[in-house]
Amino acid sequence: FPPPFQAISRNPIVLDLAYNGIEFPSIESRMKKDRKAKGGFMSRIFG
Amino acid sequence: SSQQPPPPPPLEDLFTTLNRHIQSSAFDNAVKLTDQILAIAPEDEDALRCKVVALIKNDRVEDALSAIRSSPRTLDDFHFLKAYCLYRQNKLDEALESLQRQERNDETMLLESQILYRLGKMDACLDIYQKLQKSKIDSLEINVIAAHVMGGRSSAVQGLLDSL
Repeated sequence: FPPPFQAISRNPIVLDLAYNGIEFPSIESRMKKDRKAKGGFMSRIFG
Repeated sequence: SSQQPPPPPPLEDLFTTLNRHIQSSAFDNAVKLTDQILAIAPEDEDALRCKVVALIKNDRVEDALSAIRSSPRTLDDFHFLKAYCLYRQNKLDEALESLQRQERNDETMLLESQILYRLGKMDACLDIYQKLQKSKIDSLEINVIAAHVMGGRSSAVQGLLDSL
């Protein structure tokens, strides 16, 4: 006593790479258009 | 009746707010926004997909599965998302089954390889890595090495490391 240390087998590391493939859809086109997109110079000032 | 309920906020406003929550990783709030959108437009594809993804990103895998199952529409990638949730719950056979209903691409193959790894099917797992090799996926070599080691092919690992 104490018992001698023993080597234990460890599983190798595995990454959850599939998680990176889970992405939000692009919803830009569903959003309120910003001023710049809507008009030109005048609407940027007065809009 | 003649009494009109107040009009709901325009969808584009809700999507604008939803986008802000997504950008700041406020996934609980994002889910609330998708629920508001779906209350107005129950079959809105973008809202359905955002809801499921936000739940997954928030580690609410069980809720994500419920959302998929109760969805009035089956979206293109729902089988993949469902398979991922089942994988996270370690329901590996169900996960594979769901994945087989999805068209194969890099993402589905990555998930398939991870499921096969957990099932101990290293040969099938390594077959997929072979196919993914040309896609240049970041950190894939870590999983490839693990599959070699667990598949009793540690001797191949040195060669693999040398080729990186």
